[in-house]
Amino acid sequence: MEPVRHYADQEINQEPNTGANLQKTPKNKKRRSWGPGLLLLLPILLFIFGFFIVPMLYILYLSFITTDEIGGTTAAYSLKNYAQFFTDSYYLSSLWLTVKISLYTVILSLLLAYPVALTMAKSSPRVRGYIALLIASPLLVSIVVRNFGWYLLLLPNGTINQTLMSLGIINAPLKLLFSELGVVIGLSNAYLPFMILAIATSLYNIDPSLEKASAILGASPLRSFFSITLPLSLPGIVSGCVLVFSLSMSAYVTPALMGGANVPMMPVVAYDQINNLLRWTFGSAISYVLLATTLITVIVFTRTFERGKFKEVFR
Amino acid sequence: MKSLGKLRMAAAVITIIYILIPLIVVIPASFTSANYPSFPAEGFSFQWYTELLNRPEFVEAMVNSVKFALLAAFFSVVFGTLGALAIAKYDIPGKAYLTSLLTSPLSVPQLVLGIALLIYFTPMMLAGTSTGFLLAHIVICIPYVIRLVLTGLSGFDYNLERAAAILGANPVVVFWKVTLPLIRPAIISGGLFAFLTSFDNVTVSLFMVSPDMRTLPIEIFSQMQDAYNPIVASVSSLVIFISVILIIILEKLQGVGKVFGGSHS
Repeated sequence: MEPVRHYADQEINQEPNTGANLQKTPKNKKRRSWGPGLLLLLPILLFIFGFFIVPMLYILYLSFITTDEIGGTTAAYSLKNYAQFFTDSYYLSSLWLTVKISLYTVILSLLLAYPVALTMAKSSPRVRGYIALLIASPLLVSIVVRNFGWYLLLLPNGTINQTLMSLGIINAPLKLLFSELGVVIGLSNAYLPFMILAIATSLYNIDPSLEKASAILGASPLRSFFSITLPLSLPGIVSGCVLVFSLSMSAYVTPALMGGANVPMMPVVAYDQINNLLRWTFGSAISYVLLATTLITVIVFTRTFERGKFKEVFR
Repeated sequence: MKSLGKLRMAAAVITIIYILIPLIVVIPASFTSANYPSFPAEGFSFQWYTELLNRPEFVEAMVNSVKFALLAAFFSVVFGTLGALAIAKYDIPGKAYLTSLLTSPLSVPQLVLGIALLIYFTPMMLAGTSTGFLLAHIVICIPYVIRLVLTGLSGFDYNLERAAAILGANPVVVFWKVTLPLIRPAIISGGLFAFLTSFDNVTVSLFMVSPDMRTLPIEIFSQMQDAYNPIVASVSSLVIFISVILIIILEKLQGVGKVFGGSHS
């Protein structure tokens, strides 16, 4: 019986005619809706708390605990784990390497993504759908499979080296595999689709009459692009860059397979500390250093654009 | 103007090829008759596919992958659909916060999530068990189900539910006969997406697997770290084949581009 009354009540509440009803609405709605709504939410809320929020807070807590030599924890809170990270040049250079490779990945992705996003924006919805399918489908195939494809292409006697040598561009095979370049190629290939879709979304929102107006006023297509399309697509560029940067900073599989021991990025170091050396408190601290570095970089980057020359675009 | 357009198209085509090429080269490489992987393949044979059947670890990993992906999809769809219904239908305060909370596992790197769950599960005796593995996979699948079902409910006409209730249907019947059939495409897309997310996962799985329980991507990962063998190419082709079938269904139901485009704008 309860639900029937509930629906009937909502119907009354939707009558906007009387002031009394309007005032009653929020109260009534709240009282009626909480019960069943909360009941439906309970399983998922408990699950997310129990198996996501609590574990995340637990390793934050652990990162402030000092471990003695044999691996037992003493309940001494300290910043020792963080101090160890920031005083050891091995970890600092790993952090710098991670930021550097992530930045290269962002730049390469941006350059490759923009023409596709622009083509999507200028196409019919049907063609847009096909392009979106082509670029987004690889995201649904396991990253190890895509990495294996790159392995075949980047081998010293692989397709890319063979092609470059037969064209006479290089004399000896380039070291593409197990190098920083290999990791940048793998990462940009994996995250390019996100960049394309972010930029395309912001390009769709540009009023086409703006470009027409600038053409009528005598601007060349290039001038229209640089003074209208590009600035107006900045929100998409910024969100695409943020996404690709964050994903690259914390990627484990691609650096492990394409870089190996030659490219010890932070996730590779963290994995080693946790799974091989079993240094859990230090590994937890590395995780949070990685999260904090990513977050701070992203915030500074976004703020710079939101307060820069084209700040109106971000409103 | 014309030449600029052509330049843009050419650049776009190059990028699309760049995105697709690692997947394209894997399939021909799997038919090699040599005992090292290469592209283009040397000769032609099915030997690395027949070899696959002689390797029990791959068969077992395949079975595990499918089994856990089905279970993870089932549980995340049940939890996610109930949660999304509650958010869409009831006037719960702080809806926006609630949605970000339930999709928050997406914004934490999988590496960090894997580390956190391994450390958290160990004292609970769940590390390296199939229960622990499943719980971790449900966590990473839930955000996608929430998103897809919420999108499916965004145009939902609650008058239909009301009409059924007025005509005397009890809440269970209303859900089963009215609500569920109408949001079924969104739920199926959510389930397929969850299946693929779990089936493809490497990073979180790496912290959850044990020597007795491994999945296909983990098997590929360790093969690639130890020794490169053409069997990696045939297993990878198998993974591509399964993924493509599910992608086709997902595209018919929802549009693959929309799933990602909507989720990150």
